[in-house]
Amino acid sequence: MLRGKIIMKENKKDIRKQIDSYVKGLLSEEQINELWTEFAKDPTLLDDLELEISVKKLIEEGAIEVKNPIPTKTLQLHKWTWHAAAAVALVLVALIQLFQVDSRTELDQFLAKSIPPDQIETGDGIRATDIIVTTADSLLNLGFSALISGNTQQALSLYGEVIENFDVEPYGSKAYTNKGIVLYNDGDYSGSILAFDNALSRVQDSRMIEEKAYWYKGNALVNIGELEKARVAVFEAYALDGIFRKPAFLLLQKLNYDLGYVDYEDFESQRGN
Amino acid sequence: MDYSRFVYAVQNNDTEELASLVSVITAVLIKFLKVRIGASHQDAEDSAQNTLMLVTEKIKDDKLNNPDSIIYYLFTTAKHDYLKTQAKIKEPTFDEVPESHSIEGDQLSSLLSEERMNILKVCLRQLKPDLKSYISYWFQNPGDETVVVADHFGISVSNAWTKKHRILKLLKECCEKKLKF
Repeated sequence: MLRGKIIMKENKKDIRKQIDSYVKGLLSEEQINELWTEFAKDPTLLDDLELEISVKKLIEEGAIEVKNPIPTKTLQLHKWTWHAAAAVALVLVALIQLFQVDSRTELDQFLAKSIPPDQIETGDGIRATDIIVTTADSLLNLGFSALISGNTQQALSLYGEVIENFDVEPYGSKAYTNKGIVLYNDGDYSGSILAFDNALSRVQDSRMIEEKAYWYKGNALVNIGELEKARVAVFEAYALDGIFRKPAFLLLQKLNYDLGYVDYEDFESQRGN
Repeated sequence: MDYSRFVYAVQNNDTEELASLVSVITAVLIKFLKVRIGASHQDAEDSAQNTLMLVTEKIKDDKLNNPDSIIYYLFTTAKHDYLKTQAKIKEPTFDEVPESHSIEGDQLSSLLSEERMNILKVCLRQLKPDLKSYISYWFQNPGDETVVVADHFGISVSNAWTKKHRILKLLKECCEKKLKF
């Protein structure tokens, strides 16, 4: 009982440290997701988060004056020490400039490492009277359930069933998009590109699927080194002006830079080449 | 928050228990959507409601009963619902090149409330000078490791965390007291 209480207390301490890092912007995406799971388990932690954000903001805005800072011990140094320190600093600056390497970003930094399950297309939840539509809807939902349970093979098989038996819109494009996502996460980039192309050739009236397919197709193309083709796909995602506009813009800039297309404005006329 | 209680309440149609649990879960989902995706309060509220309806149906159909799966499902469904709704209502406007290259992070400031901030400001000003100095240093040097803060104030790392927690606790109590009156 006592041991349990100690563990809980320690756990809470760790979460407080995580909240501190979250407010300071030091957590990774995965750590943030884990922290939100803790918030869901104990919503009072959200009050702690709110308090920390507020305190940080007020301090940054200079809402409080610190009149008596803690006195720090000062050391009196000889005059020659300052001259020596200045000389060392100058030598260091010269050395840094001599050996400085142009610190460029890497293409990988702009790519989706893996595609989160919330990008999976599910049934619309609107049931039609047609039995074919209902079955396709349910298969997509079953695929989603299989995927979040970690059963990717079953998910692929369910999406395959939709493609084989219910290849009508919106189900065909949804199933191919999901297949592309699963294959991307498995590292089968060529397979995912093919699936996204299939989704794009079918999709009707869904900018969401179109944008998603172009964006992840572009990512997959970068992963296999097809940068020119990737540039065209990413541009399409960017031009659709949806939720991937910003990451698409960044990747596009990076691709343009790496491929030597400096004139970004002229991109539209170049992309057909 | 015990999610098995939620499952039990749905399965047994315990409306009283459900009402209290739903309001807690809804508040978490709204904050999640506002902070993680930058949703407006109204949109977050709509998506949180849709999500709870879907989750309730899933539990009733006996397709969802593990508490950890429920949390995961709640967050992913809420995000999915919100993005879907936004994609449906947003018209394409490809007529401008973005000026900023930066990716927006979590919208933590969306949790702030003006009323609470004003009260907190008063509470912060009422702190003893040494505590004020400590908490200011902590947040003015966000990149510093706790060991640096501890060293600056001549205390151990463990005491540095304890001191920070104590100050936040004082501020929390002060705010709660003022909000009551």
